[in-house]
Amino acid sequence: MLHRLGALLDPALFWEYRVILLKGLAVDGYVFLASATLAVLLAFAIAIARLGRNTLLRALATAYAEFFRNTPEYILLVWVYYVVPVLLGQLLATKVDISPYVASVLALGLAYSGFLSETVRAGILSVPRGQIEAALSLGLRRFQILQRIILPQALRRMLPEALNQFVSLFKATSFVSLVAVPDIMYQVSMIDTQEMRPIPLYTGAAVLYCVVIICASQSIQHLSERWRRRGWA
Amino acid sequence: MFTSFDRTVLANSALLLNGLSITAYTCAIAFLLAVFLGLATCMLRLYVAALRPLAIAYIEFCRATPIFVQLLWVNYVWPTLLGFPRTAEGAGIIALALQSSGYLAETFRSGIQGFPRGQYEAALALGISRPTIALRIVAPQVLLMMAPAVVNQMAVVVKSSTLVSVIAIPDLMYEALRIVDQWLEPTAILTTAALLYFLVIFTISTCAERIATRFRTRFGLPVTG
Repeated sequence: MLHRLGALLDPALFWEYRVILLKGLAVDGYVFLASATLAVLLAFAIAIARLGRNTLLRALATAYAEFFRNTPEYILLVWVYYVVPVLLGQLLATKVDISPYVASVLALGLAYSGFLSETVRAGILSVPRGQIEAALSLGLRRFQILQRIILPQALRRMLPEALNQFVSLFKATSFVSLVAVPDIMYQVSMIDTQEMRPIPLYTGAAVLYCVVIICASQSIQHLSERWRRRGWA
Repeated sequence: MFTSFDRTVLANSALLLNGLSITAYTCAIAFLLAVFLGLATCMLRLYVAALRPLAIAYIEFCRATPIFVQLLWVNYVWPTLLGFPRTAEGAGIIALALQSSGYLAETFRSGIQGFPRGQYEAALALGISRPTIALRIVAPQVLLMMAPAVVNQMAVVVKSSTLVSVIAIPDLMYEALRIVDQWLEPTAILTTAALLYFLVIFTISTCAERIATRFRTRFGLPVTG
Protein backbone atom coordinates (compact mmCIF):
# COMPACT_ATOMS: atom_id res chain seq x y z
CA MET A 1 0.00 0.00 0.00
CA LEU A 2 2.68 2.49 1.06
CA HIS A 3 4.87 1.35 -1.80
CA ARG A 4 2.05 1.96 -4.29
CA LEU A 5 1.41 5.38 -2.78
CA GLY A 6 5.11 6.17 -3.15
CA ALA A 7 5.03 5.15 -6.81
CA LEU A 8 1.93 7.28 -7.42
CA LEU A 9 3.28 10.36 -5.67
CA ASP A 10 6.79 9.93 -7.12
CA PRO A 11 8.65 12.95 -5.71
CA ALA A 12 11.43 12.28 -8.25
CA LEU A 13 9.33 13.89 -10.98
CA PHE A 14 9.00 17.04 -8.92
CA TRP A 15 12.76 17.00 -8.31
CA GLU A 16 13.50 16.57 -12.01
CA TYR A 17 11.77 19.89 -12.80
CA ARG A 18 13.11 21.71 -9.72
CA VAL A 19 14.73 24.57 -11.64
CA ILE A 20 11.56 25.50 -13.56
CA LEU A 21 9.42 25.15 -10.45
CA LEU A 22 11.75 27.30 -8.36
CA LYS A 23 11.71 29.90 -11.12
CA GLY A 24 7.92 29.80 -10.90
CA LEU A 25 8.11 30.34 -7.17
CA ALA A 26 10.45 33.29 -7.79
CA VAL A 27 7.87 34.79 -10.17
CA ASP A 28 5.29 34.45 -7.39
CA GLY A 29 7.67 36.22 -5.03
CA TYR A 30 8.26 38.98 -7.54
CA VAL A 31 4.53 39.56 -8.14
CA PHE A 32 4.03 39.44 -4.38
CA LEU A 33 6.66 42.10 -3.65
CA ALA A 34 5.40 44.47 -6.34
CA SER A 35 1.72 44.14 -5.40
CA ALA A 36 2.48 44.36 -1.67
CA THR A 37 4.32 47.64 -2.25
CA LEU A 38 1.42 49.01 -4.29
CA ALA A 39 -1.11 47.81 -1.69
CA VAL A 40 0.75 49.47 1.20
CA LEU A 41 1.03 52.81 -0.59
CA LEU A 42 -2.67 52.79 -1.56
CA ALA A 43 -3.74 51.58 1.89
CA PHE A 44 -2.06 54.51 3.66
CA ALA A 45 -3.58 57.02 1.25
CA ILE A 46 -7.06 55.49 1.68
CA ALA A 47 -6.82 55.17 5.46
CA ILE A 48 -5.68 58.77 5.87
CA ALA A 49 -8.45 59.97 3.50
CA ARG A 50 -11.02 58.01 5.54
CA LEU A 51 -9.90 59.66 8.75
CA GLY A 52 -9.52 63.13 7.26
CA ARG A 53 -11.80 66.17 7.42
CA ASN A 54 -12.93 66.28 3.78
CA THR A 55 -16.40 64.66 3.64
CA LEU A 56 -16.33 63.86 -0.07
CA LEU A 57 -12.88 62.32 0.14
CA ARG A 58 -13.98 60.33 3.18
CA ALA A 59 -17.02 58.91 1.38
CA LEU A 60 -14.97 58.04 -1.71
CA ALA A 61 -12.29 56.31 0.35
CA THR A 62 -14.90 54.31 2.27
CA ALA A 63 -16.56 53.20 -0.97
CA TYR A 64 -13.15 52.24 -2.37
CA ALA A 65 -12.27 50.14 0.66
CA GLU A 66 -15.67 48.41 0.74
CA PHE A 67 -15.57 47.68 -2.99
CA PHE A 68 -12.14 46.09 -2.99
CA ARG A 69 -12.72 44.18 0.23
CA ASN A 70 -15.91 42.62 -1.09
CA THR A 71 -15.00 41.77 -4.69
CA PRO A 72 -13.33 38.46 -5.57
CA GLU A 73 -9.65 38.78 -6.51
CA TYR A 74 -10.09 36.58 -9.55
CA ILE A 75 -12.69 38.80 -11.22
CA LEU A 76 -10.61 41.88 -10.40
CA LEU A 77 -7.66 40.22 -12.09
CA VAL A 78 -9.65 39.35 -15.20
CA TRP A 79 -11.25 42.80 -15.21
CA VAL A 80 -7.91 44.60 -15.07
CA TYR A 81 -6.46 42.29 -17.71
CA TYR A 82 -9.32 42.57 -20.23
CA VAL A 83 -11.18 45.80 -19.51
CA VAL A 84 -8.47 48.28 -18.52
CA PRO A 85 -6.70 48.06 -21.95
CA VAL A 86 -10.04 48.65 -23.72
CA LEU A 87 -10.90 51.66 -21.57
CA LEU A 88 -7.41 53.13 -21.81
CA GLY A 89 -7.43 52.51 -25.57
CA GLN A 90 -10.70 54.44 -25.98
CA LEU A 91 -9.41 57.21 -23.77
CA LEU A 92 -6.09 57.63 -25.59
CA ALA A 93 -7.43 56.59 -28.99
CA THR A 94 -4.62 54.08 -29.49
CA LYS A 95 -4.23 50.36 -28.97
CA VAL A 96 -3.09 49.68 -25.42
CA ASP A 97 -1.71 46.36 -24.23
CA ILE A 98 -1.27 45.41 -20.61
CA SER A 99 1.19 42.67 -19.83
CA PRO A 100 -0.06 39.85 -17.59
CA TYR A 101 2.50 40.94 -14.97
CA VAL A 102 1.20 44.50 -14.83
CA ALA A 103 -2.42 43.29 -14.67
CA SER A 104 -1.59 40.88 -11.82
CA VAL A 105 0.29 43.45 -9.79
CA LEU A 106 -2.45 46.06 -10.29
CA ALA A 107 -5.30 43.69 -9.46
CA LEU A 108 -3.71 42.17 -6.38
CA GLY A 109 -2.42 45.54 -5.21
CA LEU A 110 -5.90 47.08 -5.49
CA ALA A 111 -7.62 44.11 -3.86
CA TYR A 112 -5.31 44.01 -0.84
CA SER A 113 -5.14 47.79 -0.46
CA GLY A 114 -8.80 47.48 0.63
CA PHE A 115 -7.98 45.00 3.40
CA LEU A 116 -4.79 46.78 4.43
CA SER A 117 -6.49 50.18 4.64
CA GLU A 118 -8.70 48.73 7.40
CA THR A 119 -5.59 47.55 9.26
CA VAL A 120 -3.94 50.94 8.86
CA ARG A 121 -7.10 52.72 9.99
CA ALA A 122 -7.39 50.54 13.08
CA GLY A 123 -3.72 51.20 13.85
CA ILE A 124 -4.15 54.96 13.56
CA LEU A 125 -7.34 54.90 15.66
CA SER A 126 -5.53 52.95 18.38
CA VAL A 127 -3.44 56.02 19.24
CA PRO A 128 -5.22 57.64 22.20
CA ARG A 129 -7.13 60.82 21.30
CA GLY A 130 -5.61 62.63 24.30
CA GLN A 131 -2.15 62.52 22.75
CA ILE A 132 -3.43 64.25 19.62
CA GLU A 133 -5.21 66.90 21.69
CA ALA A 134 -2.06 67.43 23.74
CA ALA A 135 -0.02 67.83 20.55
CA LEU A 136 -2.57 70.28 19.13
CA SER A 137 -2.48 72.36 22.28
CA LEU A 138 1.32 72.42 22.09
CA GLY A 139 0.91 74.00 18.67
CA LEU A 140 2.02 71.13 16.40
CA ARG A 141 0.68 71.17 12.86
CA ARG A 142 -1.61 68.36 11.69
CA PHE A 143 1.03 66.89 9.41
CA GLN A 144 3.61 66.99 12.19
CA ILE A 145 1.20 65.18 14.50
CA LEU A 146 0.66 62.49 11.89
CA GLN A 147 4.36 62.11 11.21
CA ARG A 148 5.82 62.40 14.71
CA ILE A 149 3.12 61.09 17.01
CA ILE A 150 0.51 58.97 15.25
CA LEU A 151 2.47 57.02 12.64
CA PRO A 152 5.38 55.80 14.83
CA GLN A 153 2.93 54.22 17.29
CA ALA A 154 0.33 53.13 14.73
CA LEU A 155 2.91 51.39 12.52
CA ARG A 156 4.08 49.15 15.33
CA ARG A 157 0.54 48.24 16.32
CA MET A 158 -0.58 47.40 12.80
CA LEU A 159 2.49 45.30 11.99
CA PRO A 160 1.27 41.83 13.13
CA GLU A 161 -2.08 42.17 11.35
CA ALA A 162 -0.45 43.62 8.22
CA LEU A 163 1.95 40.67 8.06
CA ASN A 164 -1.02 38.30 8.14
CA GLN A 165 -2.54 40.22 5.23
CA PHE A 166 0.72 39.75 3.35
CA VAL A 167 0.45 35.99 3.86
CA SER A 168 -3.04 36.11 2.30
CA LEU A 169 -1.64 38.18 -0.55
CA PHE A 170 1.05 35.60 -1.16
CA LYS A 171 -1.60 32.90 -1.33
CA ALA A 172 -3.53 34.99 -3.83
CA THR A 173 -0.49 35.16 -6.13
CA SER A 174 -1.36 31.59 -7.15
CA PHE A 175 -4.27 33.00 -9.22
CA VAL A 176 -1.97 34.94 -11.55
CA SER A 177 -1.29 31.76 -13.52
CA LEU A 178 -4.84 32.23 -14.86
CA VAL A 179 -3.72 35.23 -16.94
CA ALA A 180 -0.61 33.32 -18.07
CA VAL A 181 1.97 34.76 -15.69
CA PRO A 182 4.54 31.92 -15.55
CA ASP A 183 4.26 31.35 -11.81
CA ILE A 184 4.53 27.99 -10.08
CA MET A 185 0.96 26.85 -10.80
CA TYR A 186 1.41 27.80 -14.45
CA GLN A 187 4.62 25.76 -14.65
CA VAL A 188 2.93 22.82 -12.95
CA SER A 189 0.09 22.77 -15.46
CA MET A 190 2.55 23.14 -18.37
CA ILE A 191 4.69 20.24 -17.14
CA ASP A 192 1.50 18.24 -16.58
CA THR A 193 0.40 18.61 -20.21
CA GLN A 194 3.82 17.23 -21.15
CA GLU A 195 4.10 14.42 -18.64
CA MET A 196 0.42 13.60 -18.06
CA ARG A 197 1.16 12.88 -14.42
CA PRO A 198 -0.90 15.23 -12.31
CA ILE A 199 -0.54 13.41 -8.99
CA PRO A 200 3.10 14.17 -8.11
CA LEU A 201 2.97 17.61 -9.73
CA TYR A 202 -0.14 19.02 -8.06
CA THR A 203 0.61 17.35 -4.74
CA GLY A 204 4.14 18.75 -4.89
CA ALA A 205 2.83 22.25 -5.58
CA ALA A 206 0.35 22.01 -2.70
CA VAL A 207 3.06 20.81 -0.30
CA LEU A 208 5.49 23.49 -1.47
CA TYR A 209 2.96 26.29 -0.90
CA CYS A 210 2.01 24.76 2.43
CA VAL A 211 5.64 24.68 3.63
CA VAL A 212 6.41 28.23 2.50
CA ILE A 213 3.25 29.65 4.08
CA ILE A 214 3.49 27.70 7.34
CA CYS A 215 7.11 28.85 7.77
CA ALA A 216 6.07 32.44 7.09
CA SER A 217 3.06 32.46 9.40
CA GLN A 218 4.91 30.65 12.21
CA SER A 219 7.73 33.19 12.14
CA ILE A 220 5.19 36.03 12.05
CA GLN A 221 3.46 34.61 15.11
CA HIS A 222 6.79 34.19 16.87
CA LEU A 223 7.84 37.75 16.06
CA SER A 224 4.48 39.29 17.01
CA GLU A 225 4.55 37.54 20.37
CA ARG A 226 8.04 38.84 21.01
CA TRP A 227 7.02 42.36 20.01
CA ARG A 228 3.98 42.20 22.29
CA ARG A 229 6.07 40.99 25.21
CA ARG A 230 8.38 43.96 24.75
CA GLY A 231 5.38 46.24 24.59
CA TRP A 232 6.44 47.18 21.09
CA ALA A 233 3.39 46.14 19.10
CA MET B 1 -20.36 50.34 -24.71
CA PHE B 2 -24.15 50.39 -24.45
CA THR B 3 -24.71 48.32 -27.55
CA SER B 4 -22.26 45.81 -26.17
CA PHE B 5 -24.23 45.88 -22.92
CA ASP B 6 -27.35 44.80 -24.86
CA ARG B 7 -25.51 42.08 -26.72
CA THR B 8 -23.43 40.66 -23.92
CA VAL B 9 -25.40 41.24 -20.73
CA LEU B 10 -29.09 41.69 -21.53
CA ALA B 11 -29.22 39.05 -24.24
CA ASN B 12 -27.56 36.59 -21.87
CA SER B 13 -29.31 37.53 -18.66
CA ALA B 14 -30.92 34.09 -18.32
CA LEU B 15 -27.50 32.46 -18.66
CA LEU B 16 -25.97 34.81 -16.10
CA LEU B 17 -28.78 34.23 -13.61
CA ASN B 18 -28.37 30.52 -14.07
CA GLY B 19 -24.65 30.94 -13.40
CA LEU B 20 -25.46 32.93 -10.28
CA SER B 21 -27.76 30.17 -9.05
CA ILE B 22 -24.99 27.60 -9.59
CA THR B 23 -22.64 29.87 -7.64
CA ALA B 24 -25.20 30.07 -4.83
CA TYR B 25 -25.81 26.33 -4.82
CA THR B 26 -22.10 25.45 -4.85
CA CYS B 27 -21.35 27.91 -2.07
CA ALA B 28 -24.26 26.78 0.10
CA ILE B 29 -23.32 23.10 -0.04
CA ALA B 30 -19.62 23.85 0.37
CA PHE B 31 -20.32 26.05 3.39
CA LEU B 32 -22.53 23.46 5.09
CA LEU B 33 -19.89 20.81 4.49
CA ALA B 34 -17.23 23.18 5.83
CA VAL B 35 -19.19 23.82 9.03
CA PHE B 36 -19.60 20.09 9.54
CA LEU B 37 -15.94 19.28 8.81
CA GLY B 38 -14.74 22.22 10.88
CA LEU B 39 -16.84 21.21 13.87
CA ALA B 40 -15.68 17.59 13.62
CA THR B 41 -12.00 18.60 13.35
CA CYS B 42 -12.35 21.04 16.22
CA MET B 43 -13.89 18.33 18.43
CA LEU B 44 -11.09 15.91 17.53
CA ARG B 45 -8.47 18.54 18.26
CA LEU B 46 -9.94 19.47 21.62
CA TYR B 47 -11.26 16.20 23.00
CA VAL B 48 -9.52 13.24 21.33
CA ALA B 49 -5.89 13.39 22.43
CA ALA B 50 -4.78 10.53 20.16
CA LEU B 51 -5.99 12.28 17.01
CA ARG B 52 -4.88 15.78 17.99
CA PRO B 53 -1.69 15.86 15.84
CA LEU B 54 -3.68 14.64 12.85
CA ALA B 55 -6.35 17.30 13.37
CA ILE B 56 -3.69 20.01 13.72
CA ALA B 57 -1.96 18.85 10.53
CA TYR B 58 -5.30 18.91 8.68
CA ILE B 59 -6.16 22.39 9.92
CA GLU B 60 -2.72 23.76 9.11
CA PHE B 61 -2.73 22.23 5.65
CA CYS B 62 -6.17 23.64 4.83
CA ARG B 63 -5.25 27.09 6.07
CA ALA B 64 -1.81 27.30 4.52
CA THR B 65 -2.58 26.17 0.97
CA PRO B 66 -4.11 28.64 -1.50
CA ILE B 67 -7.64 27.75 -2.57
CA PHE B 68 -6.64 27.61 -6.22
CA VAL B 69 -3.93 25.04 -5.47
CA GLN B 70 -6.37 22.98 -3.39
CA LEU B 71 -8.94 23.13 -6.14
CA LEU B 72 -6.59 21.75 -8.80
CA TRP B 73 -5.19 19.24 -6.32
CA VAL B 74 -8.64 17.87 -5.46
CA ASN B 75 -9.72 17.94 -9.11
CA TYR B 76 -6.68 16.15 -10.59
CA VAL B 77 -5.24 14.10 -7.75
CA TRP B 78 -8.14 12.85 -5.63
CA PRO B 79 -10.01 10.88 -8.29
CA THR B 80 -6.98 8.64 -8.92
CA LEU B 81 -5.76 8.50 -5.35
CA LEU B 82 -9.06 8.22 -3.47
CA GLY B 83 -11.62 7.33 -6.15
CA PHE B 84 -13.70 10.48 -5.69
CA PRO B 85 -14.94 13.13 -6.56
CA ARG B 86 -16.16 11.98 -9.94
CA THR B 87 -17.48 15.34 -11.20
CA ALA B 88 -16.10 18.86 -11.43
CA GLU B 89 -18.97 20.07 -9.21
CA GLY B 90 -17.90 17.59 -6.53
CA ALA B 91 -14.28 18.71 -6.75
CA GLY B 92 -15.25 22.37 -6.51
CA ILE B 93 -17.46 21.80 -3.49
CA ILE B 94 -14.86 19.68 -1.70
CA ALA B 95 -12.05 22.17 -2.33
CA LEU B 96 -14.12 25.11 -1.10
CA ALA B 97 -15.22 23.13 1.95
CA LEU B 98 -11.67 21.98 2.70
CA GLN B 99 -10.33 25.52 2.72
CA SER B 100 -13.06 26.91 4.96
CA SER B 101 -13.17 23.95 7.32
CA GLY B 102 -9.64 24.74 8.46
CA TYR B 103 -10.52 28.34 9.28
CA LEU B 104 -13.84 27.40 10.87
CA ALA B 105 -12.21 24.74 13.06
CA GLU B 106 -9.96 27.43 14.52
CA THR B 107 -12.90 29.81 14.96
CA PHE B 108 -14.89 27.13 16.82
CA ARG B 109 -11.88 26.28 18.97
CA SER B 110 -11.24 29.86 20.03
CA GLY B 111 -14.97 30.27 20.74
CA ILE B 112 -15.06 27.19 22.96
CA GLN B 113 -11.75 27.88 24.68
CA GLY B 114 -12.66 31.52 25.20
CA PHE B 115 -15.73 30.62 27.26
CA PRO B 116 -15.16 31.56 30.91
CA ARG B 117 -15.00 28.37 32.95
CA GLY B 118 -16.29 30.17 36.04
CA GLN B 119 -19.77 30.52 34.54
CA TYR B 120 -19.93 26.79 34.00
CA GLU B 121 -18.89 26.10 37.59
CA ALA B 122 -21.35 28.66 38.92
CA ALA B 123 -24.19 27.05 36.97
CA LEU B 124 -23.21 23.62 38.33
CA ALA B 125 -23.14 25.01 41.85
CA LEU B 126 -26.65 26.37 41.37
CA GLY B 127 -27.78 22.86 40.51
CA ILE B 128 -28.53 23.42 36.82
CA SER B 129 -28.32 20.22 34.82
CA ARG B 130 -25.51 19.76 32.32
CA PRO B 131 -27.70 19.71 29.17
CA THR B 132 -29.42 22.91 30.31
CA ILE B 133 -26.05 24.55 30.94
CA ALA B 134 -24.87 23.57 27.48
CA LEU B 135 -28.08 24.77 25.82
CA ARG B 136 -28.97 27.87 27.81
CA ILE B 137 -25.62 29.22 29.02
CA VAL B 138 -22.74 27.97 26.90
CA ALA B 139 -24.25 27.68 23.42
CA PRO B 140 -25.85 31.14 23.08
CA GLN B 141 -22.73 32.97 24.19
CA VAL B 142 -20.26 30.85 22.24
CA LEU B 143 -22.39 30.99 19.08
CA LEU B 144 -22.72 34.77 19.29
CA MET B 145 -19.01 35.12 19.95
CA MET B 146 -18.22 33.11 16.81
CA ALA B 147 -20.97 34.54 14.57
CA PRO B 148 -19.00 37.35 12.87
CA ALA B 149 -16.07 35.09 11.96
CA VAL B 150 -18.36 32.32 10.70
CA VAL B 151 -20.33 34.67 8.46
CA ASN B 152 -17.11 36.26 7.23
CA GLN B 153 -16.07 32.81 6.16
CA MET B 154 -19.30 32.57 4.15
CA ALA B 155 -18.21 35.67 2.24
CA VAL B 156 -14.78 34.08 1.70
CA VAL B 157 -16.47 31.00 0.22
CA VAL B 158 -18.38 33.13 -2.29
CA LYS B 159 -15.19 34.98 -3.20
CA SER B 160 -13.21 31.79 -3.67
CA SER B 161 -16.04 30.19 -5.65
CA THR B 162 -15.08 32.37 -8.66
CA LEU B 163 -12.16 30.00 -9.13
CA VAL B 164 -14.30 26.89 -9.69
CA SER B 165 -14.97 28.26 -13.19
CA VAL B 166 -11.42 27.11 -13.95
CA ILE B 167 -12.48 23.45 -13.68
CA ALA B 168 -15.50 24.16 -15.96
CA ILE B 169 -18.27 24.46 -13.40
CA PRO B 170 -20.74 26.79 -15.20
CA ASP B 171 -21.00 29.39 -12.43
CA LEU B 172 -21.37 33.15 -12.93
CA MET B 173 -17.67 33.66 -13.57
CA TYR B 174 -17.60 30.85 -16.12
CA GLU B 175 -20.56 32.23 -18.07
CA ALA B 176 -19.09 35.74 -18.01
CA LEU B 177 -15.75 34.52 -19.38
CA ARG B 178 -17.52 32.48 -22.04
CA ILE B 179 -19.44 35.54 -23.21
CA VAL B 180 -16.16 37.48 -23.35
CA ASP B 181 -14.70 34.77 -25.58
CA GLN B 182 -17.77 34.82 -27.80
CA TRP B 183 -18.13 38.58 -28.37
CA LEU B 184 -14.61 39.83 -27.56
CA GLU B 185 -16.27 42.77 -25.79
CA PRO B 186 -15.22 42.43 -22.19
CA THR B 187 -16.16 45.79 -20.71
CA ALA B 188 -19.89 45.53 -20.03
CA ILE B 189 -20.07 41.88 -19.15
CA LEU B 190 -17.07 41.75 -16.81
CA THR B 191 -18.11 44.96 -15.07
CA THR B 192 -21.61 43.57 -14.56
CA ALA B 193 -20.25 40.31 -13.20
CA ALA B 194 -17.87 42.12 -10.84
CA LEU B 195 -20.70 44.32 -9.54
CA LEU B 196 -22.97 41.28 -9.06
CA TYR B 197 -20.29 39.53 -7.02
CA PHE B 198 -19.66 42.70 -5.04
CA LEU B 199 -23.38 43.06 -4.25
CA VAL B 200 -23.71 39.46 -3.09
CA ILE B 201 -20.61 39.52 -0.90
CA PHE B 202 -21.25 43.01 0.43
CA THR B 203 -24.81 42.04 1.38
CA ILE B 204 -23.62 38.95 3.21
CA SER B 205 -20.96 40.76 5.20
CA THR B 206 -23.10 43.83 5.99
CA CYS B 207 -26.22 41.92 7.05
CA ALA B 208 -24.19 39.56 9.16
CA GLU B 209 -22.31 42.35 10.88
CA ARG B 210 -25.56 44.15 11.68
CA ILE B 211 -27.23 41.04 13.10
CA ALA B 212 -24.15 40.10 15.08
CA THR B 213 -23.85 43.60 16.55
CA ARG B 214 -27.53 43.67 17.53
CA PHE B 215 -27.38 40.34 19.30
CA ARG B 216 -24.14 41.21 21.00
CA THR B 217 -25.50 44.48 22.39
CA ARG B 218 -28.67 42.74 23.51
CA PHE B 219 -26.70 40.15 25.46
CA GLY B 220 -24.27 42.74 26.78
CA LEU B 221 -21.22 41.32 24.99
CA PRO B 222 -18.47 43.63 23.75
CA VAL B 223 -19.14 44.91 20.21
CA THR B 224 -16.15 44.42 17.93
CA GLY B 225 -15.35 45.88 14.52
